[in-house]
Amino acid sequence: MTYKFIGKRIKRNEDPRLLTGQALFVDDVDIPGMLHVAFLRSDYAHARILSIDIEEARQRPGVVAIYTAEDMGDDWEPGPPLVSPPPTLEGVIFNSRRQAPLAKGKVFHAGEAVVAVVAESRYIAEDAVEDIWVDYESLPVVVDLEKAMESDSPLVHDDLDTNLAAHMFQKKGDYESAREQADLIIQKKFYLDRGAAVAMENRGIVAHWDEKSQHMTIWDTTQAPIPIRNGTAARLGLSEKQVRVIAPFLGGGFGPKAMMFYPEEMLLPWLSMKHCRPMKWIEDRRENFYATTSERQQVHEVEIALTKDGRVLGLSDDFLHDTGAFDPYGLTIPLNTQCHVTGPYDIQNIASNCTAVFTNKPIVTPVRGAGRPQGVFVIERMLDFAAKELGMDLLELRKKNLIPPDAFPYDKEIIDQAFAKFVMDSGNYLPVVEKAREMIGYDQFIKEEQPRLRAEGKYVGIGITPFIETTGVGPYEGARVQIEPTGKVNVATGIGTQGQGHFTSFAQIVSEQLGVAVSDVNLVSGDTAQFHWGTGTFASRGAVVAGSAVLAAATAVRSKVLKLASKVLEAPEEELEFENGTVRVADIPRQSISLGELAALANPLRGAVEPGSEPGLEATDYFGPAYGATAFGVHAMIIEIDPETMMIEFKRYITVEDCGTVLNPLILEGQIHGGVSMGIGNAYYEKMHFDESGQLLNASLADYLIVTAHEMPNRIEIGHMETRSPFNELGTKGVGEAGAIPVPACFTQALENAFQDFDLEILETPLSPNRLFELLQREEHEE
Amino acid sequence: MKLEGEFTFSGPRERVWDIIRDPDILATALPGTKKLDLVGENEYEGEMQVRIGPVAGTFGGKLIVSNEVAPESLTLTVEGKGKVGFLKGSGDIVLSDQGEDATLMKYSGEVQIGGRVASVGQRLFDTVSKSMIKQGLDKLNEAL
Repeated sequence: MTYKFIGKRIKRNEDPRLLTGQALFVDDVDIPGMLHVAFLRSDYAHARILSIDIEEARQRPGVVAIYTAEDMGDDWEPGPPLVSPPPTLEGVIFNSRRQAPLAKGKVFHAGEAVVAVVAESRYIAEDAVEDIWVDYESLPVVVDLEKAMESDSPLVHDDLDTNLAAHMFQKKGDYESAREQADLIIQKKFYLDRGAAVAMENRGIVAHWDEKSQHMTIWDTTQAPIPIRNGTAARLGLSEKQVRVIAPFLGGGFGPKAMMFYPEEMLLPWLSMKHCRPMKWIEDRRENFYATTSERQQVHEVEIALTKDGRVLGLSDDFLHDTGAFDPYGLTIPLNTQCHVTGPYDIQNIASNCTAVFTNKPIVTPVRGAGRPQGVFVIERMLDFAAKELGMDLLELRKKNLIPPDAFPYDKEIIDQAFAKFVMDSGNYLPVVEKAREMIGYDQFIKEEQPRLRAEGKYVGIGITPFIETTGVGPYEGARVQIEPTGKVNVATGIGTQGQGHFTSFAQIVSEQLGVAVSDVNLVSGDTAQFHWGTGTFASRGAVVAGSAVLAAATAVRSKVLKLASKVLEAPEEELEFENGTVRVADIPRQSISLGELAALANPLRGAVEPGSEPGLEATDYFGPAYGATAFGVHAMIIEIDPETMMIEFKRYITVEDCGTVLNPLILEGQIHGGVSMGIGNAYYEKMHFDESGQLLNASLADYLIVTAHEMPNRIEIGHMETRSPFNELGTKGVGEAGAIPVPACFTQALENAFQDFDLEILETPLSPNRLFELLQREEHEE
Repeated sequence: MKLEGEFTFSGPRERVWDIIRDPDILATALPGTKKLDLVGENEYEGEMQVRIGPVAGTFGGKLIVSNEVAPESLTLTVEGKGKVGFLKGSGDIVLSDQGEDATLMKYSGEVQIGGRVASVGQRLFDTVSKSMIKQGLDKLNEAL
């Protein structure tokens, strides 16, 4: 399909504002009379609150009010369950335990909010927090997933008999019989640990209850303003029309800012109503490590069954998933893990047993990748081990098991995060793998370059890893497109934006329909006053779902324009074309009218709008996919390790993506760059270190190592392939999380390849220079 | 976190024992100690000002002496909390003669920290605690 705007490298509409500091972020909101909130957070991971002494704090000048859970009276109530367990899956056990606005009686994880202080300034509020004395009785702490499930483990929630948060079993075919037919069975156990999302901007909320207009305005760093508006209205006993949630520009979301109903999100609007004054709270970095969600800890016991010629007959995966102290977000992450643990491979027999576990750690909700990197790590590791046992080339083994192009739509028969059957819409995997192989020079590296470099004493390794990413899931999004008399086009959609380039990619979709310059399309996203239907920005669904809704609305406006222009220009619709903000008769370009003039004609001041028609050139439409769109890609890297420091240098980094129709290659590449940097962090630097008493020992950016330019490859070479999704008219698939998903698997493979003399077997992620050193020492000692 | 070490006092074992069992002397020796009062048999209550890197604050708490075998060994249990976090630990101290006029102290124990001292200060906690112990023991040695 040839496009005029879609697929073009168009610079982003939003960048001039962002780069010159003219974009509004939550912390920029400053309202006269605004009060500031600070929280006293628990030092203990698990403790009973015996008493709270706020007297000294109350007397500090500038302190307006202090609230504990008890002070909230009947308004104290835990957050709503956000995503229930899938009703489509039989026999699911799910124990719902949700976070409270303030801890009552007991704290369940370090950093849980216990007391809220309202003061004239943040400085005063922080000082008053220091004046408060809480007497805790410490309780035994549950940190380790396996120990948490032992019968004598302390209980996170003592009203439950165990620390089981959820249990679900999913299967396809019959793993046991596959096992019997197998020539080779490999069993491994993997430990995957937790990392933080570390958005550049921490969370923040300004809530403004205007008593006179009986209206609440909330500026919130949320990825899902509409669910937050609806939930807040319900909690406060207001109508949805009385609440406006604005998610302005955000400095990154990455999942934890999705619809969470964080304690602060529940509390700030409540406080604002209580005091009839605007309230502000901006999270600091240390709070962010505890009070914002994080992810990725799982323990997998895996078995893979293969024939001797390398065909995978079946896979069995029994895993524990850390949900932290509460499980408001349901089973999204482990469902993703279950969908991705068989990757892009045609595996007919699957048994996947998931046990979600409560621990005294901060709450777990999706972080870019959301369970997918774990699944990808497990299957790719298993295939690496299988290739070794079978004496096969890593890539040949994978190619043998890829789902063939004629098998789509392909039903994995596993329920996915949208509670639908995981039906893979489309794909043509082999050419993508071959392209990556060619770009990195796989064969040449293995045969010539690596032996030469190894002979020079260099530790160089190659990794190449295919992966899938489920994207673009429902339920739906909507958009409204309107042409103004100025000829400019307004677009409103409900999803929030956190840096994905929506202002440009959605504009390109509109331009394609209406022939206006991309810079003449003005998007408003994430403001419930502008558009109040929708779910949010997560699960790599913005381009697919909201993008398709924008397309539908723009198409509807296009037909309104054609109808009116046909009348005005006295030419049949088929003979009209859109060009540069005008509609003209194709054969007689001089016979034209601008979109602005048409918009004015469509909204007359005299005369009558004909019955059955609507004023204006405006339309609203929605898109709700029954199934998501599954993207595919391959990452490949060549790394060199300094054997003294264990620091890594990326010699080459290649990604080949197939995300269907590319809306804007510049934006796509930016997404991949960011994703890869997060993936490298997940593979080798970023790990939240909890000690056995549930204390996070690296809750600062001095100790928690995020990837900087220094740790990045000098260049990421990106190749594109395009298999259009048949499930949406744009033919597009999401790519927001793709960059991060396969990196730990690919990196681990490359490390083992570099240290092939050591017989290194890596069963964990993330690693670190230090941890790699330990593993290598262990190998040496064992030899 | 584990704390382990040894220290040689230049004095006889009985004398060393008397000093470490004297709260007034202990209070002067432990760096940052604001007060240390005997509140029951083998139980002290005190306050200590601690600075670990960017984290500074006062800890209040209890110190309990148990398993006492004079003048040889004892177990110390501490529990303290403050606005910057909490600290809990216990350790064994063993004294042995080291020739005529010297005494060797071996100590080993485990300390658990929480709150801001853990999340921001842990990287420095090891060094700071070792240097505090060293300072304290040097002071006690001077008191001999």
